Amino acid sequence: MFKIIYMIFGIVVLVAYASSAWFGWEIANSGSRSRLGVPFIYTGFRGGK
Amino acid sequence: MSILRANCPSCAAPIKFMSGSTVVLVCPFCRSAIARTDRALEDLGKVAEIAQSSSPLKLGLRGSFKGNAFELTGRAQLQHQLGGFWDEWYATFSNGWVSWLAEAQGRFYVTFYQPLSADVILPAFEQLQVGQTVDAIPANSPLIVTEKGTATAVAAEGEIPYRLTPYEQSNYADLSGQNNAFATIDYGMSPPWVFAGQQATLADIGLADARLAERAARRVATGAMSCPNCGGPLALAAPDKSERVTCLNCSSLLDVNQGNLKYLHAVNPPASAPDFVLPIGAKGIFTDGRMFKIIGAVMRSVTIEGEKFYWHEYLLYEPSIGFRWLVHSDNHWNFVEPVNVAEIQASANMLGARSASYGGRTFRIFQDADAVVEYVQGEFYWRVEQGETVRAADYVSPPLMLSQEVTANEINWSLGTYMTNAEIEKAFGVPDLPKPWSVAPNQPFTGRFYYTWGALPLLLLIVVAVFMIPVSGLTSTVLSQQITLPAMANANAPQTIFSQPFDVRPNRNIRITASAPVNNSFADLDVDLINDQSQEVESVNVPIEYYQGVDSGESWSEGGQSQDATLSSLPGGKYTLRVEGTWQEWQQPIAVNVKVEQNVMRGVNFLCAFAVLLIVPVLGLFRKFSFESSRWKDSMFSTSSSGDSDDSGSDSDD
Repeated sequence: MFKIIYMIFGIVVLVAYASSAWFGWEIANSGSRSRLGVPFIYTGFRGGK
Repeated sequence: MSILRANCPSCAAPIKFMSGSTVVLVCPFCRSAIARTDRALEDLGKVAEIAQSSSPLKLGLRGSFKGNAFELTGRAQLQHQLGGFWDEWYATFSNGWVSWLAEAQGRFYVTFYQPLSADVILPAFEQLQVGQTVDAIPANSPLIVTEKGTATAVAAEGEIPYRLTPYEQSNYADLSGQNNAFATIDYGMSPPWVFAGQQATLADIGLADARLAERAARRVATGAMSCPNCGGPLALAAPDKSERVTCLNCSSLLDVNQGNLKYLHAVNPPASAPDFVLPIGAKGIFTDGRMFKIIGAVMRSVTIEGEKFYWHEYLLYEPSIGFRWLVHSDNHWNFVEPVNVAEIQASANMLGARSASYGGRTFRIFQDADAVVEYVQGEFYWRVEQGETVRAADYVSPPLMLSQEVTANEINWSLGTYMTNAEIEKAFGVPDLPKPWSVAPNQPFTGRFYYTWGALPLLLLIVVAVFMIPVSGLTSTVLSQQITLPAMANANAPQTIFSQPFDVRPNRNIRITASAPVNNSFADLDVDLINDQSQEVESVNVPIEYYQGVDSGESWSEGGQSQDATLSSLPGGKYTLRVEGTWQEWQQPIAVNVKVEQNVMRGVNFLCAFAVLLIVPVLGLFRKFSFESSRWKDSMFSTSSSGDSDDSGSDSDD
């Protein structure tokens, strides 16, 4: 059972990676000194200053 | 056919020598062995009556071997020096051949007299060693000595093709070769005679049908007896094959001699009384639906570095198959079957070999020590005794274990197959057997999946990553502009400036790079991406700081004059960059180069996915290493372990 769950998990990770590459999603704002927290998947503007 | 009619010189009853090859005829009336000589008939003495067994064979039975018809015309019953009996049947073929059909422990061996050329010298019986190869006998594969002993002809019936003298002893050696090859050297003759042939099934000799009928008829006969010591009832499962039985009531060890019981002595229970988890008489259904009955149980031990290690062995019996073993050690289980010695790599038959090969697998030595019988219970096909010692070596290749047991006169190999507790519980219908607390020598590692197939997602990730490079395209710059922020009114009043509009494509990540000529100072930039159509804003902070100097004669630097930030993709459209900044030297304007790129190749997503998918295979490998370490820590040969034993056992657990 755990094997099936693990394989499903692996497929989910693969699909997530392929989707992020296709749609341009980023896990994090990766500037060396930039803040983290930019959403992985764009969900709408968060407003300006 | 030359039939010789005569009268028995002992009882004068009429007798007939049916075959020209018959040398001795057992008178059916007085059981005298009558030899046919050149001059007259000679009375060699009386033989005992044949002890009836559950043998499917009988005199007069007709069969065929390799297309040649034969009839069973004689039978001799021979006694092993340790007490066991076996039958030798004599088959007279229609073409004049004579073969020997030996029957022992449910197995059959067809042999023919093998004349050797005069220059062939066989090793002397005294010099012969078990495990030794005898090259003097022509065969397709080397013949290995599996047993040497002394036989006594105790009973006979019918026609015998050699001079059988009642109770005469003769030395013999049994040899086995590959593909069921079998040979016997009879040292009762001078020079010794060789009989060569093969192990055969009843089907091989055209007697399969007879067997079924015989067995069905004999099934009604049971070995119901009573203990000569206490009078308690004893029911023998294999009365014709058993040599020893213990009384469950008074723990007496009894000798079984052709169905007769004789009290030997009481079985002394060891200091730690054995707790057999399966009872004598329990029946278990194993693979292929074979049902075996437990007829005996033994507690054995080995002493290693002064410490005794115990285990239990159950003797299983099924009339049509014979004997098997179920070994219970540290709550691990093994189903053990005999193996033809000749099928083992020849060098492994030498004592102390570090590896053995069988069935295309290489087995590594795990243990080599003297195994001692500590306690017995039930019924056995050999003359078991407390204290009986054999040299036992175990070779492992999970889930299999090859075991070699050697005495001065015999060498035996057996193959154990690891069975889980659940399989034993299911086979015997018993719940909650004690759980094992360690790794068994041949216990298969069941987590192999996690570093083999479990690494498949990892491999696919690399494939997908490579595939996505050309699909997603290369990095493109959508804005590159130098903007100058005017001097600030004070240190806390940031300046803001807008870039020229530029196009952003959807589904592409965005990297904003800002450079400023800071030197031992900083510039803190808040960069907003403004959608010109919807006026919605996405903000990032790009702090730039660069410090450098010389300390104790060594130059140093920290930070840089360029920083970047990367965003997920935004809806496509026209955007403007709003740059709001404060900087250390606020009294002076500062020139800032801003660059916006899309479709930037980054490794973060890949590395994160890679790391996540690597966890389980790495844990699997770690578990494998730990498992193998546990397996080999109990081995006498642990220094040779490398933890790389590959088990092809089923990956059945989770």
